[in-house]
Amino acid sequence: MKTISFVLNGKKTSIEVDDNETLLGALRERLGITSVKEGCGIGECGTCTVLVDDEPHYSCLTLASKANGRDIKTVEYLSSSGALHPLQEAFIKSGAVQCGYCTPGMLLCAYSLLLKNADPDARDIKEAISGNLCRCTGYIQIEEAIKNAAEICKCDR
Amino acid sequence: MLPKFASVIAKTREEALSWLSSLENPRIIAGGTDLMVKMRAGKQYNHVIDVAGVPELLTLTETDEGLSLGPAITHARLSISEPIIRNARSLALACGLVGSPQIRNMGTIGGNLANASPAADSIPPLLIHDAVLVLESREARRRVPLEEVIVAPYVTSIDRKELLSSIEINPLRGYREGYRRVAKRATWAISRLGVAFAIREDKGRFADVKLAIGSCTPMPFRPKKVEDLLRGAEKSEVIITEAIRMALEEIKLISGIRPSYAYKLPVLQGILEEVLRG
Amino acid sequence: MFIGQDITRVDALDKVLGTAAFAHDLKKDTMLFACVVRSSRPHAMIRKIDVSAALALDGVVKVLSHKDIPGENLFGAIKKDQPFLAEGRVRYKGEAILVIVGITEEIARTASGLVEIEYEDLEYISDPFLSMRSPILIHDGGNLLSHRKVIKGDAGKGFESSDVIVENTYSTTWIDHAYMETEAGIGYTDERGHIVVASSTQNIHYKMKEIARLLAIPPEQVRVVQATTGGGFGGKLDVTVEGYIALAVYHTKRPVVMRYTREESFLGQTKRHPLYIEYKTGARKDGSLTAVEVNIVGDTGPYISYGETVCLRAAVHATGPYEVPNVLVNSRMFYTNNPVSGAMRGFGVPQLALAHESQLDEIAQRIGMDPLDIRMKNALKRGSLTATSQVLNHSAGLLETLKGIEPFWRARRKQGPGSGFGLGCMYYGIGNTGISNPSSCYLTFTPEGRVEMHSGVCDIGQGSDTVLLQILCDALGMEEMGIDLVRGDTDTSFDAGSTSASRQTYISGMAVCDAAQKMREYLEGQGYYSGKPLKDICREAAEKGLPVFNGHFDPPTTAPDPETSQGAPYATYAFATHMTEVHVDEVTGVCKAVKVHAAHDVGRAINVSNVKGQIYGGVAMGVGLALMEEFIPGKTESFDNYYLPTSMDMPEVEAIVVEDREPTGPFGAKGVGEPALIPQAAAIVNAIKDATGVRMRQLPCDIERLKLALEKNKVK
Repeated sequence: MKTISFVLNGKKTSIEVDDNETLLGALRERLGITSVKEGCGIGECGTCTVLVDDEPHYSCLTLASKANGRDIKTVEYLSSSGALHPLQEAFIKSGAVQCGYCTPGMLLCAYSLLLKNADPDARDIKEAISGNLCRCTGYIQIEEAIKNAAEICKCDR
Repeated sequence: MLPKFASVIAKTREEALSWLSSLENPRIIAGGTDLMVKMRAGKQYNHVIDVAGVPELLTLTETDEGLSLGPAITHARLSISEPIIRNARSLALACGLVGSPQIRNMGTIGGNLANASPAADSIPPLLIHDAVLVLESREARRRVPLEEVIVAPYVTSIDRKELLSSIEINPLRGYREGYRRVAKRATWAISRLGVAFAIREDKGRFADVKLAIGSCTPMPFRPKKVEDLLRGAEKSEVIITEAIRMALEEIKLISGIRPSYAYKLPVLQGILEEVLRG
Repeated sequence: MFIGQDITRVDALDKVLGTAAFAHDLKKDTMLFACVVRSSRPHAMIRKIDVSAALALDGVVKVLSHKDIPGENLFGAIKKDQPFLAEGRVRYKGEAILVIVGITEEIARTASGLVEIEYEDLEYISDPFLSMRSPILIHDGGNLLSHRKVIKGDAGKGFESSDVIVENTYSTTWIDHAYMETEAGIGYTDERGHIVVASSTQNIHYKMKEIARLLAIPPEQVRVVQATTGGGFGGKLDVTVEGYIALAVYHTKRPVVMRYTREESFLGQTKRHPLYIEYKTGARKDGSLTAVEVNIVGDTGPYISYGETVCLRAAVHATGPYEVPNVLVNSRMFYTNNPVSGAMRGFGVPQLALAHESQLDEIAQRIGMDPLDIRMKNALKRGSLTATSQVLNHSAGLLETLKGIEPFWRARRKQGPGSGFGLGCMYYGIGNTGISNPSSCYLTFTPEGRVEMHSGVCDIGQGSDTVLLQILCDALGMEEMGIDLVRGDTDTSFDAGSTSASRQTYISGMAVCDAAQKMREYLEGQGYYSGKPLKDICREAAEKGLPVFNGHFDPPTTAPDPETSQGAPYATYAFATHMTEVHVDEVTGVCKAVKVHAAHDVGRAINVSNVKGQIYGGVAMGVGLALMEEFIPGKTESFDNYYLPTSMDMPEVEAIVVEDREPTGPFGAKGVGEPALIPQAAAIVNAIKDATGVRMRQLPCDIERLKLALEKNKVK
């Protein structure tokens, strides 16, 4: 067992984890954050995506101990101010949400993209979500939502 | 569910070496993208030593003689690294094609190398840059060319108690350099073929040609005879055809005729034609 | 007016917040974990099972076998033929044998690895052609599950009067549903002593009945709730985890959770049927089709699931959306010891579309006719007779979809070597084939003055909850803020039938309209539309008892003739045309889908954004089916070697919505869920032919198959 301390969705957090525990398992089982999903467990679907220091990682392939000292964000962070993030609004408006299982991972990748690139083109957006599978939407409305949100975020700056 | 193991997080190279020598059945983990999948499938280790945060393994130094890459540097970082793009373009390109964005954020060049998949994208570029690996243990330090380290698919001669502490490569400046690969979908897929190339032409001649082919033979390899044939030769369709014929022959010599060659050899031929013609 | 508006999906907020509760997100105190022990052999007698090591493991609570089933061991969507837990014999690799219940998932799975099973192998029937000849019977009744025919006119005479005949064989293989959420559920006993199961599912009343049969308890003592479901595509129609969970709850008297790993889902769950299609098409030199003869052989695996349905649907749709005067189709499904094939988006029609669209293009090429023109010439339209001699009286918008594509088709220009364009058309009967498949719902009021819609419809992401709400709002003339949706729970709803066959908008939508009409009449009588507030109406009504308004709809169909399948198997059909541009790299065999124009006659688009979302998703699934998806039994384990299209594999898509109103549908609507996929792979294959001169007849047309075909073509 190890005690790990990290920032989770903006708040300092400390938990005990097993050495062989994944970050996915720790988030879901110990911290009750069920927005992070296990779609395959081998880093081939993206539904377990979290942001580590604002970069997308597969939490199913991340040992929980690796979170120590890092900044971890799950989709809950986007609305942590109490209001929906423009990305979340855009996803709702653009029809980007069907079954919803890939949605948290997609939102996090989009969020990470916009932190680095305020004016992403269509290719940038495609690449940003190229490590997240969706079986329902064909990605198109997700990409539209991200583009729309980027516009709004630009105006907000 | 992963098998039980004890993990330690190394803060320095010294700590890593110390644990490697003292712990039972240890395994180095960096990004974890290969190791975690293996462990999920049942592979057991008593101890896992996390070196992803060791500063000495994360540095990239550039001198006139060459570059020294920390093995824990991620594919993402290498793919946008200015010194790599300038000195080893094929490596930057290859690293940008590994897996998906998440895999590139997590996976490291050292890990890719140590996993030694025949399809590893980073290996052909490292081969054309004459990569030499620095392997350290508590007791010793050795420098070994990359092609001698990979002995079989997924097998290296890195000892259990050794840490890959640096990857040294020669720069190639003034070359037309790149990495081409073919996969079953646009991204996030194992390469079915990979070709790293660096070509320098001068007044209608091939001044120098470096090639490395991956996903074709048990280990990625450099067809040195082909390079020798082309070096200094006048650039012509005849020599290109002959060079490609030699490359395909060398592959058949190494591996025999594999069922996948019905696909791979014609494709490789086409890629080499495009690469050599420029 | 809510029809035709993109009103916000009712479930979207929870999903973007990450709070939507999928089955594995649900928790109950003292819950146990169950997992299935599966056969490692494709066909074997079970000689011995030793569970002693499993039972000895600390934390193992129960090991359950078929002997622990109080009721019926056999389940099945059409016929009850598949054991929940194998009784002495296993018929496919992955078949369930035991359920192990432990205090944690890790313990349950570790225990399952400790079970020792001795098998005596039986001959493995590995394909339907072997099966048809083999003396080894997978079931006592023989290896042929189903043989359906379509006979119209005289195919022989039709070929005699043809100027051109084209004859080819096509084949497809197993495809996995690959929903992002694997099968999962949680069960417990509630205060009434009822067994409650919440699961990822496409239907709830069916599962309730199966659980009741399994446990030999009345269905009223079983409650099934649909958790937020992360995709279905036909794979969550059959009982998946629900039976095992209920059995474990029954024996342990504690809450039990179960979920499949991705590997389990790939191994144990149903697949799209591999179909081998021999197709003969005859036409006159003016392009009019004279005769179609099709022989379909399907691999249905060892249990029925939806095999009979696919057998019939494939037969009925085999001609494609065209007027063909002479039709002879023989469609046969054989048992094998391969994975169980079942329902998957399109029920055999995507596979047939590959064949009928390739055939039509080949005829067109032979007679020098443009692929669009030949389709326009033969397109089913109002007044046409289908292959089952059903007259299409209304809502037959194929020509409109072709016209929608036409400007892009006429303007197409190849972008260089490897560039090509292809067309694919389809029609698809909405609802189950020639059998009753009703939907029921009810509406009521709350004492505070709100409308409550009680719906048993399972929204699996396609947006049915939202669409039904829109229909109700317009039917009542009411804002959605005044309506509460009570959904997905057998305790609070009537049976709406499964979310499959693209039927919910059409059938459950009409049931809602039926109930709404009754409520509307009541409200009119109460003065609501003259200005009396609903609050007051309800307060007064509550004293006497709030009225309930039942809604019901069963599409008018006729049972197909058992010999010829002639009849009216569906009350309405959707129609579509996809035009696809591809680029093929002739060096590598990589085919990129560049752009798709997809025109769909949906009758009426209740929610345009939803319709487009289905079309885009269908295109993605079609790209996968055409170019990269292939489940290889024994080899395919997970997403590392089963490739779904990523964002980078997607073409640009322009969705064109055509509305040829269906008079029997809610505000004219039909369906789009499966139509969205059906013509896409066929269009890609036709485009590859245009781009390279190579005709691919086996799916997937992956980089290796395509490159080998290109090389062979060079030699020619």
